[in-house]
Amino acid sequence: MRQALSNKLVDMASKNSNLILLTGDHGYALFDEFRKIFPEKYINAGVAEQNMVGMAAGLARVGFFPIVYGLSAFIPIRVLEQIKLDVCHDELPVIFLGDGAGFVYSSLGTSHQSTEDIGVTRSIPFLDIYSPADRFEITAVLDLAESSRNPSYIRIGKSDLGDVHSAPITITKNKLLPINISDSPITFIATGSMVKVAANLSKIFKNANVWSAPCLKPINTELLFDIFQKSKIIVTFEEHNIYGGLGGIIAEISSEIYPLPILRIGVNDCFSKYCGTYQYLLEEHGLNFESIKSKIHSHLEIHQIK
Amino acid sequence: MLSANNLRKTIINMAYAGSTVHIGCAFSIVEILLVLYRDFLNYPQQDCTSASRDYLILSKGHGVMAQYACMLEMGWIEQQQLDNYFGDGTDLKGLSDSRVRGLEVTSGSLGHGFSVGIGMAFGAKLKATSQRTYIVVGDGEINEGAIWEGALFASHHQLQNVMVIVDANGFQAMDRTDDVLSLGKIEDKFIAFGFETVCVNGHDELEIKKTIQDLWESTSNKPKAIVAKTTKGKGVTFMEDNNIWHYTRLTPETYSQSISELNRVDK
Repeated sequence: MRQALSNKLVDMASKNSNLILLTGDHGYALFDEFRKIFPEKYINAGVAEQNMVGMAAGLARVGFFPIVYGLSAFIPIRVLEQIKLDVCHDELPVIFLGDGAGFVYSSLGTSHQSTEDIGVTRSIPFLDIYSPADRFEITAVLDLAESSRNPSYIRIGKSDLGDVHSAPITITKNKLLPINISDSPITFIATGSMVKVAANLSKIFKNANVWSAPCLKPINTELLFDIFQKSKIIVTFEEHNIYGGLGGIIAEISSEIYPLPILRIGVNDCFSKYCGTYQYLLEEHGLNFESIKSKIHSHLEIHQIK
Repeated sequence: MLSANNLRKTIINMAYAGSTVHIGCAFSIVEILLVLYRDFLNYPQQDCTSASRDYLILSKGHGVMAQYACMLEMGWIEQQQLDNYFGDGTDLKGLSDSRVRGLEVTSGSLGHGFSVGIGMAFGAKLKATSQRTYIVVGDGEINEGAIWEGALFASHHQLQNVMVIVDANGFQAMDRTDDVLSLGKIEDKFIAFGFETVCVNGHDELEIKKTIQDLWESTSNKPKAIVAKTTKGKGVTFMEDNNIWHYTRLTPETYSQSISELNRVDK
């Protein structure tokens, strides 16, 4: 996915002369190709994220198309007010790339982990939020963010899990994307790194339907209504707090248009306690395959779905 | 007519009409804004939205009444808007809001306008235009860390098209700046951050004008900074150097006293 991001940024810069890439001293090796071809469009703004985002707003005001890169623990968390006031208030075309979302930096601790970014950005007006699962989705959401000219936050999580789609995709009207469609009454809706996990679990649970949600805000509710109508139970998957993220989004929409029992698989409102590998951290938070499997089993039993 | 006394009268009338605060913050920057609008800011065809205009960023959004008063003189807002200041459903807010034609940024949360202005100046430099960016900050505002992040960037990228003007009135919201968080010599800080820096009497129009001229004529590629020593509440004796006029609203009595004092200056 990182290679796709690197290629896409080069491609976008070659077509859009106003594009300017800002990084807060992050992105080792990610921008090598970009810097080689467009050295004048690459700005390392230093370890000074607040100023970087304010400047991005100023650059957008005078006609540039800034893409701001950082770790999602900092972009958007550290600079939330700049995103709200300097960028979103005036609907400026700035794309924020928040890399390493979730537990990617498993061994570095809470400062570099990010499981609250969707929740806090969702309530900022005019900000579109994307959470791609693979190289095809990240390419497609960058197209959407560029063509919309809306302030956009693209959350990039664990990037080396492989593809969930088999070919390039086009996203229309911010719809969910089908990963596995069946007659099952069980529907899994997942985002980012968890799409792959949901797809793997589907085989165990009656070939459950699996949808990927690369567009979190806005999200297409017509398709969701169809999905809800065909389902008896929904399970959401995300490497993010269960509060405010995909689970919250789906639960809010369902409660308004077609109430269903919804199990939210995600981080249970806590920080990581220990150091370890990515896989270890998933286990600590009950997000590994076996833990999720047993949670879903219990939930299906409670709701008497066989 | 664009004069300091007229601007202060407009501010007092506006503040009384809207029963608003922040009079002291507006009074301290009257001469600074007056000189900028009268002698320096380039607006082709008087158009405040012209793509080739100079940029004036009021980062200390609390002084926005002084800018409204200037914009009235420029013909960008109507007297009736000031008469209805703070009325329900009106556009002019108590802090700078970029949705108002003529205001560049939404500020008042301090330290934001500075970085946006640095970004605009950087953009102008990348496009090799002759546009200049003026950023007015408060001395209290420069408590904010983002200011110094932006100062590093401006200096590193040699943004000689940007001029920061510090309204050094010696007060912030709750107290004197030296009693809240000592700034030391502000000019020394900007010099240390790589700015070509000059101190002026911020109420002396001629001195402000000459200093700005001299700085633009400098061959240095450094960003510019002016530390303008000002008096909060300048122009009405009972408001001068008295921080209650950050928060106090005018009564019929204080309004009459203010206006008659400003009228006396005209005579």
